[in-house]
Amino acid sequence: MSSIATTRIQRELKDIKESNNQSIKIELKSDEFNNLRGEIVGPSGTPYQDGMYKLSIKIPETYPFNPPIVSFDTRIWHPNISSVTGAICLDILKDQWAAALTLRTVLLSLQALLSAAEPDDPQDAVVAKQYKDNQKAFVKTARFWAQYYANAPGPRDTDCVEKLRKASEMGFYKDISLQALSTHSWDLENAIQYLTSC
Amino acid sequence: MSEEDSRSSEDETSEDEDINDYYNNNEDDFIDNSDVERGQDGEEIMTSDYYSSNEYIRKRMQELEYYDYQCLTGTEVEEKLAKDTETTAELLNISPPLAQLVLLANKWKITAINTRLKLSPVERGKLLVESGVIAVLPSHFKHRTEHKKLSLKSAVSCGVCFDVFPVSDVTSLSCKHMFCRQCWTQHIDFTVKEGMNAGIPCMENDCSVLCPIDFVEQFLKGDSARLYRDHLFRISVTTHYRCRFCPGVDCPVVLFAETPKPRRVTCKRCKMSCCFECGNEYHVPTDCETIKKWLVKCADDSETANYISANTKDCPACHICIEKNGGCNHIQCSKCKHNFCWMCLGDWKAHGNSYYECSKYKENPTMTNSSQQTQAREALKKYLFYFHRWENHSQSLRLESNARLKIQSQIEEKMNRSEGTWIDWQYLLRAGELLAKCRNTLHYTYPLAYYAGGGSEKALFEYQQAQLEVEIEGLAWKLEHAGEYQRGEVENQMDVCEKRTQTLLARFVAN
Repeated sequence: MSSIATTRIQRELKDIKESNNQSIKIELKSDEFNNLRGEIVGPSGTPYQDGMYKLSIKIPETYPFNPPIVSFDTRIWHPNISSVTGAICLDILKDQWAAALTLRTVLLSLQALLSAAEPDDPQDAVVAKQYKDNQKAFVKTARFWAQYYANAPGPRDTDCVEKLRKASEMGFYKDISLQALSTHSWDLENAIQYLTSC
Repeated sequence: MSEEDSRSSEDETSEDEDINDYYNNNEDDFIDNSDVERGQDGEEIMTSDYYSSNEYIRKRMQELEYYDYQCLTGTEVEEKLAKDTETTAELLNISPPLAQLVLLANKWKITAINTRLKLSPVERGKLLVESGVIAVLPSHFKHRTEHKKLSLKSAVSCGVCFDVFPVSDVTSLSCKHMFCRQCWTQHIDFTVKEGMNAGIPCMENDCSVLCPIDFVEQFLKGDSARLYRDHLFRISVTTHYRCRFCPGVDCPVVLFAETPKPRRVTCKRCKMSCCFECGNEYHVPTDCETIKKWLVKCADDSETANYISANTKDCPACHICIEKNGGCNHIQCSKCKHNFCWMCLGDWKAHGNSYYECSKYKENPTMTNSSQQTQAREALKKYLFYFHRWENHSQSLRLESNARLKIQSQIEEKMNRSEGTWIDWQYLLRAGELLAKCRNTLHYTYPLAYYAGGGSEKALFEYQQAQLEVEIEGLAWKLEHAGEYQRGEVENQMDVCEKRTQTLLARFVAN
């Protein structure tokens, strides 16, 4: 790892600790500076409110002249983030990266992305379609995922809990059932048909 | 209409009259040219040799497809680019490296830049901002400009490595975003090695200012510097509206045309040719956009579509696509369990008994044509119809490209048998050349026909296309059986072919 990348990561970690921002966190995964773990809190006023989202951050050899590789470890229902792999579609992590950007600005941008999705530039086409066509189902699903995967507080939607229970009673894994139900906007019959066909 | 245009249209009419004369003098009226006025009878006395000579064919082709372009070497292009840069620098009153940024952002269209400048005094600033010469809002980086006011001894922190440097060790572009020299070097080096397709930007977030050549070169040495020059040249040529790299593999020639148009350009060095506008194979009468759409469609669809068409049918009850996997023609749909016959798509019930009606041809099959799947299949049929013709002609073109050698050996054979002299048989080679040219045009009429709307326009086009096809196949036949036809017959056929091609092209060229 180049010296410039190492020194910069060290400084960035120090800056984040000093900044005292409770909603973002970055720590080393091991002694290496190229593998970090991040955490952001879901912004208030969104379905992700108070969820704890873990991120994996890989620092390339050429950092900061090339962007860090960031993905969600915690599963999330969002048009610009893959609901399966956690891959993120965000311009500053691709061609709009600038060397003067930092990990802190990246995490803040991710929080901003959670507040304002861009369904016209989707990473997950299924989620983006639901976001545009069936906003109610989208909010319901995103909130349930936040509670289910990201430990967001609050009472869970009884309809979701009930349908998820029914699907898993039929012998399907919970994660797969939840994915199928979410994809079919909580239409139990369609989701079961989908699950049996694959 | 520009002067040039009016001149070329005059040429066309006079040429038409010449052709008319030719037919009348020879008393050949296989082409109906009653709508063309007769004129200047016998004023020009030409032997029929002239009309079949290369010169004559070229002259007539020039009418419609003549295109003025040059094949330039790298150095010649660089001279032109340098001249353009100088002119723009004077025009905008900035240094040549900055003028180069403006040109790169504006496809090197100096006239367009000039017209914009004349619009209003604000345009100059806007142009410079859009081209990445200056930043958008000077107020945006106020806090950084303050650093500059500090004395030379004071320290500045670099926004990338976060280290603190004396003012003499940091530098910036016109946007005044200060970074240390080491970071600039690495940033520029990485960007150059990655291909720098969009130029080298400032390292600050949301800053659109680009590094001009003089700024970049102070940080580069050796291989990187050479690579940078190469990239810059490549980007200049690809963005330049009057330039196109020769499509030949590893050919350094740059094709240059004063007025860019979708016309055939051929590299003088490697003989590869392409359309100047889009770089694809020359594609009259189809326009660049349509041919692009068509080629993408062919690349995406043709194999799958062919397979679907050849090996599958839709279930008559639920319209799901079924692939037959065994010999039996009694099919049970795996989705809706409908029993039907693969041959006639009728209900299988009618097939079980002694009265087997499947082998009888029925005039009107009672299939419903309204469902979505049927429509999709119809669309597929339409596409395949055009695609197969397109493929067929491209195959013919491939086969006929070998024909030149064959004709040459035929000519030698004939000369050995003392059947005429070398010069007597040259018309065969000309016919081969013309055939290739006309067939290429016909080949490219199919994508156009596929995307064409309905109406009389299309009917006319299809009529012209059919006429051309008949004549081209006639020429191909006569050329393949050259021994059985008189020279006059072949030459007449050549002339008709050419005339039909010209008729079809006339509209395209006019657009």
